Amino acid sequence: MTTNPIIQVENVYKFFGQLTALNDVSLNITSGEKVVILGPSGSGKSTLLRSINRLEKIDKGHIIVDGQDITAPECNINTVRQELGMVFQSFNLFPHKTVLGNLIMAPMRLKKMSKEEAESIALDLLKKVGISDKAHVYPAKLSGGQQQRVAIARALAMNPKIMLFDEPTSALDPEMIGEVLDVMTSLAKEGMTMVCVTHEMGFAREVADRLVFMDHGEIIEQGTPEEFFTNPKHPRLKQFLEQIL
Amino acid sequence: MSVEKKEVRIAVTDGMLIPSGKDKSVVTAWSISLIFAICSIVYLCVNKPDPYLDIIKFLPDGILVTFKVTVSAILLTIPIGLATGMGRLSENKVINLIASTYVEIIRGIPLLVQLFFIYYAIGEFIQLPDLTAAIIAMSVCYGAYMGEVFRAGIDAVDSGQTEAARSLGFNKTETMFMVILPQAWRTILPPVGNEFIALLKDSSLVSILAVSELLRRGREYASVTFNYFECYLMVALIYLVITLLLSKAVSIMENKLNYYDD
Ligand SMILES: Nc1ncnc2c1ncn2[C@@H]1O[C@H](COP(=O)(O)OP(=O)(O)OP(=O)(O)O)[C@@H](O)[C@H]1O
Ligand SMILES: [Mg+2]
Repeated sequence: MTTNPIIQVENVYKFFGQLTALNDVSLNITSGEKVVILGPSGSGKSTLLRSINRLEKIDKGHIIVDGQDITAPECNINTVRQELGMVFQSFNLFPHKTVLGNLIMAPMRLKKMSKEEAESIALDLLKKVGISDKAHVYPAKLSGGQQQRVAIARALAMNPKIMLFDEPTSALDPEMIGEVLDVMTSLAKEGMTMVCVTHEMGFAREVADRLVFMDHGEIIEQGTPEEFFTNPKHPRLKQFLEQIL
Repeated sequence: MSVEKKEVRIAVTDGMLIPSGKDKSVVTAWSISLIFAICSIVYLCVNKPDPYLDIIKFLPDGILVTFKVTVSAILLTIPIGLATGMGRLSENKVINLIASTYVEIIRGIPLLVQLFFIYYAIGEFIQLPDLTAAIIAMSVCYGAYMGEVFRAGIDAVDSGQTEAARSLGFNKTETMFMVILPQAWRTILPPVGNEFIALLKDSSLVSILAVSELLRRGREYASVTFNYFECYLMVALIYLVITLLLSKAVSIMENKLNYYDD
């Protein structure tokens, strides 16, 4: 039984001046799938992820998210983005709002939720990511790990179908990485569709249904974690894994 | 992708030096100036009521007009500055060019010349009260400077904030008004305060446009009594007290805006 993919990336090119950041990339992701994107620095991982919610506008090809071609000029990207939660390396919480304020802003404005409803959802999410006690605190008072968990909760508050993570633990002190990965792992267990750029191999091995290896703007190998770690085919992937493991 | 740190730099205007809120000592340039100005006024009025007390009684109408011009102009300047600043940052080439040209032209012409020009240009088309025309003229001039302040303030907010807001599904306008401006305000407020104070001082220029603000009131009094020195001394001291108090108010407001820092 095959289901329609929830994300279709079709022959996508992205140029930054002379540089080809994405070179004929195609990738289908089915609903509920957890995909981890690996690759050396500058290989185009972030560019691919950011293209999926059109933070980067691609130059050629198509990207279809939940049935909507986001590359089409008539596409209302703002509604598509409500289906796509995004978590950044640098958290990007809104510093002028409390934790709770960060979580209720988008649901109230974009989903016309009442304050009470938005807050009760937000408090549930904060409980889920383990920081209910910080609801009324400003982000500057939180540790990096706490900020990132708030950022995940903020994205989840819009009840997205897909979550995109761009190196969510790379800016964290080592002792805080675990708490963020735990949240992501439990999210995966709940069946969320996830696309993660990460260098956390333990997480990739445990959570990913599929690993995607990129180099020089191309996807050069895909497979299950099993296949990747026991039997990598492409020499560049072998080299990459040797360096990283 | 490396995270770029943007340099925060906002042009320093010729407004007052805003006293630092962290400076807790009593003896500061600010307090010395204020005490000096107030004591001088009181001393002169008590010891030489003729003419100083008479002058002091004559001036409040002018102070009121000065405030009217300043406050109205600043209120008009904020939307003009906001539009100009956003225009200068716009990806739309036409809007960008219009905003930049406005700023360039205004910055290249002396304020006094602009005031004359705009005042009489308005007069060519519609008959407005002198006060209104003067306020519009001041706003058009100061709008360009305010535009630069807004541009710098908006530009100083980390681009990650825009990305986070857009990713949640906010459109450009929502992102600007709900996420960027509430943060930019903190970088914008001190220079806006400075502009406000500079504008208050420059409002003395509209005295030539038949608007009876503080300076013109002083001149009117002096031209009758011939107490030129005494009149302008009082006018100067009053300007000084007002600007000193305003700069304090700005610094207090600035500290209030730091509530979300650690
Ligand atoms: N806005 C931009 N302007 C110009 N070049 C860019 C821009 N964004 C990315 N690039 C370039 O595109 C290429 C791919 O960048 P990308 O950020 O996607 O790499 P990455 O795989 O995420 O790397 P990293 O692991 O360092 O985050 C790099 O060579 C990068 O320098
Ligand atoms: Mg990256």
